[in-house]
Amino acid sequence: MTDDVMRFFAAWLLTHETADEGVKAAIRRGQEAGLEGMGGGPDAFVDGLAAMIAEEKEKLKAELIARARGEVGPAEEKPDPVIEEIRFEVSALRGRLESVESKLDAVLARLEGEERS
Amino acid sequence: MSRARHIASVLAARQARALVRSAFGLAGRARWRAESARAWREAFEELGPAFVKLGQLISVRPDEFSDELVAEMQSMQDAVPALPASAIREVVRAEFGRDADDLWDDFEDEPVASASIAQVHRARLKRAYRPVWGEELPAGAAVAVKVIRPGAADSIRADVAVARRLAQAAVRRGLVRRFDPVALLDEFERSVERELDLRVEGRFADRFAFDFRDDPVVQAPRIVWPLSSQRVLTMEFIEGLRLTEVDRALAEGIDFFGLAVHGAEAFMRQVFVYGRYHADLHPANVFVTPENRIAYLDFGIVGYLTPEERYHITQVMAALVYRDPDRALEHSAALGVHVPPEKVETVRRELGELLDSLARPGEQSGEKSSFAHFGYGFLRMLGRHGIEIPSGYGMLIKSLATVEGCSRMLYPGIDMIGTTQPFTTRVLATALSDPAVLRERMPEAVRAALRVLVS
Repeated sequence: MTDDVMRFFAAWLLTHETADEGVKAAIRRGQEAGLEGMGGGPDAFVDGLAAMIAEEKEKLKAELIARARGEVGPAEEKPDPVIEEIRFEVSALRGRLESVESKLDAVLARLEGEERS
Repeated sequence: MSRARHIASVLAARQARALVRSAFGLAGRARWRAESARAWREAFEELGPAFVKLGQLISVRPDEFSDELVAEMQSMQDAVPALPASAIREVVRAEFGRDADDLWDDFEDEPVASASIAQVHRARLKRAYRPVWGEELPAGAAVAVKVIRPGAADSIRADVAVARRLAQAAVRRGLVRRFDPVALLDEFERSVERELDLRVEGRFADRFAFDFRDDPVVQAPRIVWPLSSQRVLTMEFIEGLRLTEVDRALAEGIDFFGLAVHGAEAFMRQVFVYGRYHADLHPANVFVTPENRIAYLDFGIVGYLTPEERYHITQVMAALVYRDPDRALEHSAALGVHVPPEKVETVRRELGELLDSLARPGEQSGEKSSFAHFGYGFLRMLGRHGIEIPSGYGMLIKSLATVEGCSRMLYPGIDMIGTTQPFTTRVLATALSDPAVLRERMPEAVRAALRVLVS
């Protein structure tokens, strides 16, 4: 039983190690290809993506370290996109009504002009 | 003379002149094709707004028209002599029931721009206005008043009707085989009808400002709705330099490379993230402001994409960036580019060659590493195989090529495909991490993993 558990964790570790090496290799390939084009099929996308994720990881690491040292304040709160969208829609509706109102004023002015003449 | 006869006589006269210029074909076939294309462009410019707009549509269809004709139509100028201010003031009076001087301060009779459909006059706001999005425009703020030229709508509609009759006659007599002129006119009519209603343009400008609210570099004019209607659009007057005037910007310390990259990414954000994009970009419609911002003007022609189209177009873009012909073909098929089974292998091979012809890392980039080289090459190749291009595909490729052209005006050495790679990768990764896509893909991914494990 102990052997089985040991074997299971050994397999688990080996899987992780292999996956980690695979990701590192993809990152390396992606970084080597740089920004000027990958030159090669479906795997190139995965490599490019891996390189960008690694870049993001480094940024996150630096951010966490800076925060732990108290060098940066808490992340700024972003406005809720749904509320923003509703605000925009309501505002756009106001714009339409203002345009319609101008048109109605024009029609009214014309009718008044016709009545007078 | 009837309009139909006038059109026919202008076209015939211009073609006759082309025949003379090419020594009746004796100067070689290439010369004749070039002269004939030039004659078509000159005739369209002479025939007025409807034909200028039709020419713009032809300029995005290299699959159906010759390279020479497409290139000529791309260079067509949409600038016409200005109408007298009295005619423009009359339109304003008809729309608002009041004189221009009652609506704006300092309405200038001399237009700042004059095109086939509309002309633009400068004026000042009488009172402050809070726009749909963005900061308030104060009283006295400079505005651009865009007015549809009187009679433009009627003349375009009349010309379309005449052109339709001519096109139907040409089809009946079998004179046109390479493309369907009636379908082209239908597409043209839909596009131009939208352009004739300036409220559509105003709404898109508002939406654009909202979409880019988090981007301090990108700017769109704020619309003044109480002074806007179907034929009049009042918008913030943006001071700046057109891309055609970049030499002057050079002297003013503008960050060219940064703006070129940002401009390209802003366009891709419109296409890949929002699915609505400025489809009439040209160097005269993009300004660089003294604050180092990019201002987009003239939202008369807009392209829309469904979420599904957006996803597949992102995939095609990734195929271009990563030179993956299978990905390009698979997702082009989802966009309606149906390659007959017997031609799949040939098209795949030719597409691979096209992608291979793009510059490699470290190579001199230039024309060969461009959206235009790939996009137009792809459309031309499909045209050669008689494969139909869905409506909108050509417009999108032209827009991408134009964005590239604009970026190159700012920074000639820019490698567009390489520069846009991180953006494309990020957008595609976001699209693929959508729960719905993950749910659809997961069973296949698990099966593939198991296949690898047990093989």
